Amino acid sequence: MRALDLTLREQAAAVAAGDVDPAELLDATLDRIEQRNPALNAVVETFPERSREMLAAAPEGPLRGIPIVVKDEWPLPWRAQRFGAAELFEPTAPAESGPYRALRDAGAVIVGVGNMHELGAGSTGNISVYGPARNPWNTELCPGGSSSGPASAVAGRLVAGAVGADGLGSVRFPAAYCGLTGLKPTFGRSAMEGHHMAAMTTMIVSGPLCADAADCRLLGSALYGETLAAGDPSALRIGVVRDAVSEDVTAEVREACETAIESLRAATGGEVREIALPDLDHSVLAGILIINTESLGGTTPERLNSLHPDISPINRGVIKYRMLLPAAAVAKAQRLRTLMRHRLAALFEEVDVIAWPTVPAPAPLLEAPIVELPSGTHTADQANVRGAALANLTGIPAISVPVGLSGERLPIALQLQAAWGRDELLLDAAEALEQANERRWVEAVPPLAEAEPTEA
Amino acid sequence: MGTSEQADDFIPAGLSSLGIEADEVELAVIAAAHQLFWPAIGELLALDTGDVKPERCPDLSKAPS
Repeated sequence: MRALDLTLREQAAAVAAGDVDPAELLDATLDRIEQRNPALNAVVETFPERSREMLAAAPEGPLRGIPIVVKDEWPLPWRAQRFGAAELFEPTAPAESGPYRALRDAGAVIVGVGNMHELGAGSTGNISVYGPARNPWNTELCPGGSSSGPASAVAGRLVAGAVGADGLGSVRFPAAYCGLTGLKPTFGRSAMEGHHMAAMTTMIVSGPLCADAADCRLLGSALYGETLAAGDPSALRIGVVRDAVSEDVTAEVREACETAIESLRAATGGEVREIALPDLDHSVLAGILIINTESLGGTTPERLNSLHPDISPINRGVIKYRMLLPAAAVAKAQRLRTLMRHRLAALFEEVDVIAWPTVPAPAPLLEAPIVELPSGTHTADQANVRGAALANLTGIPAISVPVGLSGERLPIALQLQAAWGRDELLLDAAEALEQANERRWVEAVPPLAEAEPTEA
Repeated sequence: MGTSEQADDFIPAGLSSLGIEADEVELAVIAAAHQLFWPAIGELLALDTGDVKPERCPDLSKAPS
């Protein structure tokens, strides 16, 4: 197998052992981006000289010489983030962001900037100032958002690992749509410095997108600045919720996720418990209200009246609508956040993880991102956020794990959520699930990545 | 009065009172968002959370104390 198609940890081991020349790996990666990216639009900028400088200065870290894509959400020393948009409200400038430092210190090489949904405001990736990124499983379909480019780049095997950000599911949605493993860390555990909202957000975290859990553990360890040690998920107590989040999903998603939950139970010698999580629907709105208002402190009506004309009409409207949201509802959302945190703390005395589908349906069309569910037709954003918001609202970690392919050969994913600080348990459980299904789904390759093996 | 009729009054009046301008497309987007969110906001406001003790400066990296 060529180095480019190895897992992240295999690439790292091969470079460390001297079996792969990291300079050749970097050149091969740049070549592959040149070959495949026109079909994916996953990477919006490369900077070969900067990447070569990073490689030349790379320390003997766990990711020495490994090419990584970083979402357009953090500055780099040579490039300000654009957030997938024509302009940002907050000032930005080139800088050493937290993810940049974490990757640099681990020896990694940032090889490109990943596309993203405009302003991070969507679960599909179909809107971006760069044009949409595309899903390697079918380039007519959404790759998921807002970390669309990082997911598309890893699924398309341009790179073996990428850094995304998750404020309301933005790592987990693209992981699910692209058949990857995506980790949303416990709030505050992963590098966030330099993000233009770092000082005001209570929702957004950086997180890894990789082929499988072991790679997420490796890249995540760099982002966390600590080793995410492997543990034993034996006797795992799995909580399931009989609610729209697990039942208003397509038949294929429901079957694949129920099968995966049973496989995980059997593999760990654990048990499945039905749990109640009242007000889940209200908590979704609470998350939406909080993330949409916590950046408003720097906004003025005058500023809103001079929005860049290239910001999409939908986001121009949404940005202005934020100003009409009632303060009482935001205060109520904060109170509900407290309530849900207490409820989760009590639930995590009874179960180790809570499982439900990451998204209720596979990736929709880029041109019409809607999904058909038992309850009717919904926008993908409306449907997807139901399963994602709780983790951001409360701060708990969550992981999306591929657990099947639909009849149209599109990825299906299960989400696991755990108590604060138990990110490692999620990785352990994800690995147990991978083993239980003989790694069928984490090793499934999209058609685009099966094409011509070339270079390195 | 339904959300749609309310939006006809509320959105232009709200934006105007804040001095925010919006073109027809933006107004259509705002109306759609309003129809989607406003009923749910009403339900959230009606939720009785009076018994929930507020968290002072919550540390979201940890369980509530």
